[in-house]
Amino acid sequence: MGAALTRYRVIAWIVGVVLILLVVIGMPLKYGFDNPVVVETIGPAHGFLYMIYLVAAFDLSRRADWPLKRMLLVMLAGTVPFVSFYAERRVTGWLARPADRTPEPVAG
Amino acid sequence: MPPNHPGRRDNYDTVSESGPVPGTLDAMRWLWTPAWIARHVAMVVLVVGFLGLGWWQISRAAAGNTLSWGYAVEWPIFAGFVVYVWWREVRLARRNAAAATGQPADPTEQPADASPATGESRPAVRRPVRVARVPAASEAVEDTDLAAYNHYLSWLNANPGARPGDYPG
Repeated sequence: MGAALTRYRVIAWIVGVVLILLVVIGMPLKYGFDNPVVVETIGPAHGFLYMIYLVAAFDLSRRADWPLKRMLLVMLAGTVPFVSFYAERRVTGWLARPADRTPEPVAG
Repeated sequence: MPPNHPGRRDNYDTVSESGPVPGTLDAMRWLWTPAWIARHVAMVVLVVGFLGLGWWQISRAAAGNTLSWGYAVEWPIFAGFVVYVWWREVRLARRNAAAATGQPADPTEQPADASPATGESRPAVRRPVRVARVPAASEAVEDTDLAAYNHYLSWLNANPGARPGDYPG
């Protein structure tokens, strides 16, 4: 679970950053200044990274036994600029709760 | 389904074939509620749509768009994922219905096996079940040595990377 969560967080962060680069820099350059070079280079890379994000989110959802709706929401959250970071925080909050790891006495 | 039907209860995994009336689809009737029909339709529409998009990408790739070869591979994978999710939901609902003896968890679903002796229809080896263990009350420990040892063990448990020499207590 911990390793799957780390994998998900890493790829979610990468996808979120690349998506923001695409939206904040690439799209204004292409549609405002008629210079599509950023979109043409980052765009396919983002698509490929998003596939990895989908695989990581699916793997995590299986390990955490999420319902289907939550899995789909987490997957879709990766497509929205800036929201992906919030989704990553929410997912981490669900899964990395320290209260779940309270020790218990062995006997008694 | 009549509860005391003398059907083949040992067929756990082929529950769809061992219905109350052999030779009919009665055991799969719970897959034919409006909610499930909507899911089946959504699955078929998505799969056909995704395969169509894949075919479209193949035609684009044949026309010279190199990147479309990648998309032509991706869309069939998405279609397969939709089928997988659909099948997982069906299996999950069937398992839930079988687990709820007598009363289905979802009122729209009929239990796959409503007989009270569902234990017979289960295989001998089941999936492992996670159980939330309730921490024992600390005042029940009378022995101070045992309490100290338990404290030490819980400290070890709370600090997985720690060495025994680091124990502060």
